[in-house]
Amino acid sequence: MLSQAELIDPQARTLTVRIKRYNPEVDEKPHWEEYKVEADGHDRVLDVIQKVKWEQDDTLSLRRSCAHGVCGSDAMRINGSNGLACKILVKNLRSDTLTLEPILGLPVLKDLIVDMKPFFDHYKSVMPFLVNDEQPPTAERLQSPAERARFDESTKCILCACCTTACPPFWGDRKYVGPAAIVNAHRFIFDSRDRGAAERLEILNDAEGVWRCRTVFNCTSACPRDIKVTQTISEVKRLLMTGNIDLDTAPSVVIGN
Amino acid sequence: MNKYEQHEYDVMVVGAGGAGLRAAIEASAHGAKTALVCKSLLGKAHTVMAEGGVAAALASADARDSWQVHFRDTMRGGNFLNQWRMAQLHAQEAPDRVRELQEWGAVFDRTKDGGILQRNFGGHTYPRLAHVGDRTGLEMIRTLQDKGIHQGIDVFMECTIRSLLKDGDRVAGGFGYWRETGRFVLFNAKAVVLATGGIGRCWEISSNSWEYTADGHAMAMWAGADLVDMEFIQFHPTGMVWPPSVRGTLITEGVRGEGGVLKNKDGERFMFRNIPEMFRGDYAETEEEADRWVASVIANERPDARRPPELLKRDVVARAIRREVIAGRGSPHGGVFLDIASKRTPEEIVRKLPGMYHQFKELADVDITKDPMEVGPTCHYMMGGVRVNPETQESTVPGLFAAGEVSGGMHGANRLGGNSLSDLLVFGKRAGEFAAKHAKGMDSFPSINQGEVESFAREALGPFDPAEGENPYTIHEDLRTMMQRRVGIVRSEDDLRFALEELGRLRERAGRVKSGGNIQYNPGWHLALDLWNMIDISEAVTRAALTRTESRGGHTREDFPETDKEWGKRNLVIRKPGDEIIVAEEPLAPMPEDLQALVNKAD
Repeated sequence: MLSQAELIDPQARTLTVRIKRYNPEVDEKPHWEEYKVEADGHDRVLDVIQKVKWEQDDTLSLRRSCAHGVCGSDAMRINGSNGLACKILVKNLRSDTLTLEPILGLPVLKDLIVDMKPFFDHYKSVMPFLVNDEQPPTAERLQSPAERARFDESTKCILCACCTTACPPFWGDRKYVGPAAIVNAHRFIFDSRDRGAAERLEILNDAEGVWRCRTVFNCTSACPRDIKVTQTISEVKRLLMTGNIDLDTAPSVVIGN
Repeated sequence: MNKYEQHEYDVMVVGAGGAGLRAAIEASAHGAKTALVCKSLLGKAHTVMAEGGVAAALASADARDSWQVHFRDTMRGGNFLNQWRMAQLHAQEAPDRVRELQEWGAVFDRTKDGGILQRNFGGHTYPRLAHVGDRTGLEMIRTLQDKGIHQGIDVFMECTIRSLLKDGDRVAGGFGYWRETGRFVLFNAKAVVLATGGIGRCWEISSNSWEYTADGHAMAMWAGADLVDMEFIQFHPTGMVWPPSVRGTLITEGVRGEGGVLKNKDGERFMFRNIPEMFRGDYAETEEEADRWVASVIANERPDARRPPELLKRDVVARAIRREVIAGRGSPHGGVFLDIASKRTPEEIVRKLPGMYHQFKELADVDITKDPMEVGPTCHYMMGGVRVNPETQESTVPGLFAAGEVSGGMHGANRLGGNSLSDLLVFGKRAGEFAAKHAKGMDSFPSINQGEVESFAREALGPFDPAEGENPYTIHEDLRTMMQRRVGIVRSEDDLRFALEELGRLRERAGRVKSGGNIQYNPGWHLALDLWNMIDISEAVTRAALTRTESRGGHTREDFPETDKEWGKRNLVIRKPGDEIIVAEEPLAPMPEDLQALVNKAD
């Protein structure tokens, strides 16, 4: 029988935690504060932050809720890359310094908390709801397993904003709808039950729509759900170029890889 | 002029998980001006974490299923303490609510014919859980959120409701604060729907979100509403036990639904010797029979074997695991083994349970396609809550409604997996509908008592007063440790009496709590206020648990291990009319004969 105790080396280490702090009441601009934290290799970055908060400085502000990567509340810049604090383990950090900043491109409200309203406004702008006024044929609207698989990738999004706030074009142009909004448009455009694709494509066929994307791939590497964000955006672009909304011949997304 | 920001709405919904969103959609569809007020960002509520699926007798995976069977399973699951009318409405209406969700855009995994695929779960006679891999809650909340966006409901995000306002006997709205600025805000409402979820953060080992701080349970009790069934807490059998930082994180019952088996350190499938009398004959008695069942499920055929005992209801499995660990037959970190690697191919496991695969890979370094998981019970669900009218979801306070986990009655002594997502759809809709009707029936807004508002405001600022005081995190940690040890999965009179004394001490400490920093986005201050909810509701749970001198469902007494027929005729009702929390016994509502016959029916 497997003994996990043997498998797991705790790799305890002392971390220097640098956090970008900002309190709108007293600070003109953000500043850095440093803390020393004893952490176990299997602690998550979120545990490290909670140790700072509970034991050293309870004025530190952050969002967190489910604490295992499903709700998407604790997105932040962790050693320069976007991620969820509850999904990154201490043992996977490359250095003993842990640098934490709020995600970029959204106004900072306090410490690690940003104003998510602009992000949600972009999301709302792509009509993220099923459009179909036809009477369903029977008790339910059928969808084959293949049709269902066609957009499986984009249903995994948790709206954490890791992708959009990792996107250099978004940093430069906050009117750009951003990767997350496009992923959510994709989720409905490629849904065989939806009839709103033309309208959504028109919204995205804009300089502030998919054409702002420069295929940097930052979004894909930032996504904590392993969604192939750049590929998703490319599928929407290709649809706009070919005008072919035929779901059967559209490029297919590989599931589960 | 009022010194606080104030809003007027026909219906205010507190909480934006599944029940709150569904209630707001319905209230708005009935023409009520509706506010949806939530303390997190929209779409981050606890529902998002639900994994396995939503239970509804759609009969798409097995044509023998019907609302009658679902009703019977639910009553048996709840050890017959359920409010029968709620269980009936739930079983009858769940299929329509699921189809409606699909009509609004929800995706589900599919049968070959393009219908909704349903999976097996503990206590459900037939495959009944409509699901999307192991992220059903995410899909559900996203669909409801998008539907809300479509309808243009007013959403107040990161706005915490702290207390309910009263006008005489009836509810008049709510008092709360914006998390971002700390500023107070008043809602004047003709009807209020509580949809605040559960209380799991009162325990140390919990699968619940950090936001599950008993807000709605406490606000309702303070406003004079009855609570019911507060002694019944569900400990889900399979939480992660290792590493310590993620102890308690949920492992979906879907693992067992897809064929996963429980073993002790000797490799024995101990559930075979843990089948209770009531379920004897319904479950496989040999491994060979159980394996045959799994084989037919994989082949998508109607099984000619009975289900594996791993799929017994949650309270039974959780207690069996605890016994194995206490007897020294546990895993290295104090759990037992859950093995799916030897039952399904790696491809199937990754496809059917992608979330579980990644969760173990990333957080525990375990590849579940090769090795077993270590699992143990984790505090998961509150069966008890606001006592409501089964048709309308109105509480004993006029104009105050409750739906979802914050309401009580539907699940009795134990909830079946999958019945929570269906509960919040069925009763979220009903609460929204009847709250809107209630509001329509009122000519004018109830009046707000300014004196009451001022006292809430003073109370809320309390934690900033003392020059010196205790950190709220220490008090919270002590509360959780104490509740885990004394009011956990198995209880005794000594432990419960000790817990009451401890709660008194924690209450005194909470009175001297100190929030550091200023009022803008200050999670320490938020917690300092939440401590009052958690301490009061922990006391409600403890008093009910002390009163019920028997073992049943999610309430196990070491000193009264048997299920007592007499206790099966009564619910416990909790009230706080003054400073004291009191417990009253009330007889169950009598069940009509036709339903009684369904419940009694042998297979």
